[in-house]
Amino acid sequence: MTVRPLGLSALLLSTALSAQTQSPVFSTKVEVVRVDALVTDSGRPVLGLGPADFEVLDNGVPQDVEFVSYDQIPLNVVLALDMSDSVAGERLEHLRGASTAVLAGLKRNDQSALVTFNNQVTLEAALTSDLEPLREAIGQIAGEGDTSLVDGVYAGITVGESDAGRALLMIFSDGLDTLSWLTPAAVLDTAKRSDVVVYAVSVGKVKADFLRDLASFSGGRLFELEKTANLSATFVSILEEFRQRYLVSYTPRGVSRDGWHRLEVRLKGRRATIKARPGYLAGPG
Amino acid sequence: MARSSMRRVLLLAAALAIVNAPSHARSRVALPLLDSVGGSHDGGQRAPIQAESDMDARLARVEHWLKAAMRHQPGTPDASAVEVSQWSNAALRTLWVDTNVVVKLIRKPKGTVFSLRAEGQPRAQEVHYTSVHMHRLRVLACAAGGYLGASTAPDERYCREENAIGELDGELRDLAQRAGESKRRGDDNYILRRGALLESDIGMFVSTGSEPIGTSSALGPDRFRMTLADGQGTAFRQVGVHWELARMLLDYVKPNGSDQVAPGRDEMVRDWYRATAAWMQDRQDYDTHHLERAREVLPADPIILFLSGSLAETYAAPHIQSALRSAVAPAGTVFAVASDRAELRQAESFYRRALAADASLPELHLRFGHVLLLLGHEADAARELRVALEAEGDPLLRYYGELFLGAAEERLGHADAARQAYADASALYPNAQSPYLALSALARRHADRATAFKEMQIVFELPHAEEPPDDPWWTYYKSQARNADELLESLWRPFLQEAER
Repeated sequence: MTVRPLGLSALLLSTALSAQTQSPVFSTKVEVVRVDALVTDSGRPVLGLGPADFEVLDNGVPQDVEFVSYDQIPLNVVLALDMSDSVAGERLEHLRGASTAVLAGLKRNDQSALVTFNNQVTLEAALTSDLEPLREAIGQIAGEGDTSLVDGVYAGITVGESDAGRALLMIFSDGLDTLSWLTPAAVLDTAKRSDVVVYAVSVGKVKADFLRDLASFSGGRLFELEKTANLSATFVSILEEFRQRYLVSYTPRGVSRDGWHRLEVRLKGRRATIKARPGYLAGPG
Repeated sequence: MARSSMRRVLLLAAALAIVNAPSHARSRVALPLLDSVGGSHDGGQRAPIQAESDMDARLARVEHWLKAAMRHQPGTPDASAVEVSQWSNAALRTLWVDTNVVVKLIRKPKGTVFSLRAEGQPRAQEVHYTSVHMHRLRVLACAAGGYLGASTAPDERYCREENAIGELDGELRDLAQRAGESKRRGDDNYILRRGALLESDIGMFVSTGSEPIGTSSALGPDRFRMTLADGQGTAFRQVGVHWELARMLLDYVKPNGSDQVAPGRDEMVRDWYRATAAWMQDRQDYDTHHLERAREVLPADPIILFLSGSLAETYAAPHIQSALRSAVAPAGTVFAVASDRAELRQAESFYRRALAADASLPELHLRFGHVLLLLGHEADAARELRVALEAEGDPLLRYYGELFLGAAEERLGHADAARQAYADASALYPNAQSPYLALSALARRHADRATAFKEMQIVFELPHAEEPPDDPWWTYYKSQARNADELLESLWRPFLQEAER
């Protein structure tokens, strides 16, 4: 979910933070809620918005928006890729090409990480702004084994949360889960507690219910493709769309701390389509 | 850092039932049971009359098969097994019919009416032969039944009247000799046991051909196979009915010293069903009919009920349910596989029956506990799992028990107990990732992001071995049958010892 240490909003002003942070920093004292929001009007992104333009309701209670960022904070792009049996041949080549295209679209202080999953989940490359190890890892990936999709998604969320930057989790899978220990419900629970935004690409004739729910709860999107021929374009479009999102933050007031918080994000005085997470979970449970 | 993982291909096999009603009207059948909704069968309808040359070929095939069953060395893919495995599906289908008649004649030499019903078919059909072919079938039955001795028993006298001995070649006389000796030792089942072993060995050890799916209204069973890989159905094929033949033969077994057909009281039949059902689960080559028939023959056998429970539990698992959701059944057919919850309830029922038959098996409590957990009965699950853990010394089963107990405790809101159980599981298999994933998710659920990340760091730093798999969780759905090879060795031993003598 969306709970971050107090003072993070100020830290977020520093574009150097993400790129320089190597170890995870966790605090649980006072919390700031972050909401990634895509604001569009007739399909086009609405630019130039500030804190005064946003209205955020947390469980129906209006909140004071403290900070809004647009394309200022470096991104942490976590690629979580299905490396099971079925990812082979042309599909594997397309996936390598698409992943490399995402790396090419990153800016100087952005970071990326690579998680793969088949039977096991593997951190092929930790979050880093040095993209060379990532390119090397992408060149070496190969499909074999079953699909621990749910475990792999959980690993991706955890890696995304390990740094204070804005986290985009891009998932690719061409199958359904066959082997995970964690349950979809447990990982959806984690996603509701995290501010990592999930964009998922599902390929083939599978009913990707888990990925759809995951994208929905995180405010992201699910792309369902029949083939991988245009996978690079899809991956690049995800990155571009994520860059067009606003990061809106506030310190919750007037609401109970724990439990499910229903979120409504609107613009004051104008119409727009806003895509953001529908809520977040806070506290144990 | 990438590591190759275990490849697993699931082979799912089932008979095709030709019925007029939609499949949902049928009782639960084999996993990818494909029920044709377009078949047409009338009860009592005469089977199609075969051309003379065709029937001659059929009876020649029966003769070849009898000789192959006699020559076959159990437990091996020998020349006899290979020869039979190369017959077409249509040939095996008619072999099932004709061999069935031969076996009926062994049990009742003067029989004249033969009513047969294949597995999955709604009604029995009568089969008829010309007098010439009927005579030949009787001669073959006399040989396979060992009815060529000097006895004055009515059955033997009947075979002499048919002049059976005069129509047999040397190999068939040898067969008659062996069958007769077995009968004199009190076991009047020579060809039934040998034939079943031949057919099950083909099913297990010989790479049999497959053909595109085609439904037929002719009498005899069908067998279809859906191959799964990575949770997706990759191929539908029609394969030979070797398992159906084996089961049919054993249906006629008389226990040693008994005059009555009663396969459920025969030790070899019991051991055969236990060993072959375990083999299927170990190799992930599933056949619902096999255990359905096993339960009909051995309704209170705890091992058969245990394996029935584990099969239903497997059918409820994501790798099977995923495949069924994504697979497109051939035209005119539908899957007859229940939902995950229905399969779990089925598993629960089988495990309860198995426990009623023998409550002393710790693994039974373990798997029953897992199913209860999946059904949302966490407190009951925890109780069963503790029973299993108290009695079980095998690290593998303890690992499963601790992992499942952790999940049950977590769902009951007992975080400390859950953490302890996961940690105990991790201590048993330190390179297994599942306990660390569980500990991480548990911490994250309690808003402890630092611990959640720390546990995932451990996952990311685990060494990986190719074999055996790092995490026993990956093989949970086949581990119940890990003694399949021992069961088979035990099944074959008396036959191999007899051959040595």
